[in-house]
Amino acid sequence: MTIIHHPSDATLAAFASGTLDEARGIVVAAHLSLCAQCRNAVHAFEEAGGALLDDVTPEAMSAGALQRAMAALGPLDIITPAIHEGAADDLPAPLSHYAVGPWRWIGRGVQWRPVEVASDEGVRVFMLKAAPGTRLPRHRHTGTEWTCVFEGAFTHDLGRYGSGDFDEADASVEHNPVVDAAHGCVCLVALQGHIELQSWLGRLIQPFVRI
Amino acid sequence: MLHDGRAAAGNNAADWIRAIAESQDRAAFAALFEFYAPRIKAMLMRLGAAADAAEDFAQETLLTVWRKAAYFDPARASASAWIFTIARNLRIDRLRGDNRAKLYAAYDMVEPEGPENPDSALNAAERDARVRAALKELSQEQVRVVQLSFFEGRAHGDIATLLDLPLGTVKSRVRLAMARLRNLLGDLQ
Repeated sequence: MTIIHHPSDATLAAFASGTLDEARGIVVAAHLSLCAQCRNAVHAFEEAGGALLDDVTPEAMSAGALQRAMAALGPLDIITPAIHEGAADDLPAPLSHYAVGPWRWIGRGVQWRPVEVASDEGVRVFMLKAAPGTRLPRHRHTGTEWTCVFEGAFTHDLGRYGSGDFDEADASVEHNPVVDAAHGCVCLVALQGHIELQSWLGRLIQPFVRI
Repeated sequence: MLHDGRAAAGNNAADWIRAIAESQDRAAFAALFEFYAPRIKAMLMRLGAAADAAEDFAQETLLTVWRKAAYFDPARASASAWIFTIARNLRIDRLRGDNRAKLYAAYDMVEPEGPENPDSALNAAERDARVRAALKELSQEQVRVVQLSFFEGRAHGDIATLLDLPLGTVKSRVRLAMARLRNLLGDLQ
């Protein structure tokens, strides 16, 4: 698998620091589960976090803090081998802890299944499965739309997005993705706000408007 | 920007953690606590925690470092980076109604056992040295915006208020600082 499109450095740094919101974080984690290059970048940002921690101006602990900590020391954890629990239904590992709804048809050639994640920033997470050759109506977003491709590919104005690729679209992007003719496409999406269809015809595609 | 004396303390930290893992060395824990607890407290206060809550959090982080000492692998992360990620995961764990802790558990789960690209992967010590060298190359102002923006997760508007700068200046400074850091890190990825 050759991954061409990656999350921005800003996004990887926010993930490494734990400041990225959970809904968008899931899509980033899904990409990380497929991309060694970005895992290395996250490691680099974790090292940067460590260096910044070393360099922060310390705040003195209160008197007796060390003694209290020493008194609370107990036995060490014994290393247990990590359990690589495979996610149900071939879902990628980062989704294994989440409730994922059933696939539902939402339009011609397009199925949708929700991933249950609470978000204070109005971000919804769902998977999309589109049949080969599906053309999604031209649309823009009221917020960000982050996508990680699991299978197949789609193409829009900014390039072709295949397995493992990450598409970080913000509210300024307007596009009409076309799904690969040979394989169809399965992807994970974190969508903030709503999709605004750009054509009169598009507006007729009622079920899709729900996304 | 970063002071050399502190990097030296960071180097000892790996030995202290190993001493805890191997012989539950309480003196090593005390040394680790003296260095990191006040820094984790400071980091939490920067993230908006009150002093007493930040102090409790620093205590909990260091106790977790003790418990998990056997999991520390110096080939994968420097001591500072490892402690940073422990503090990160604990902090997320404390955010109520948020499952991000699961997310990082899942992220840790996909980590392979050995180096991913043995030919190109840097070991943690090299990576740490490169990152510290890169941070030293940034101006103090650039380090500050990287810190506020990515490591404290502040919105650009917030940073503008904090630093008393126009929003546009903050945006371009964040972008430039990140691009510069990226450049300096070079082919780290």
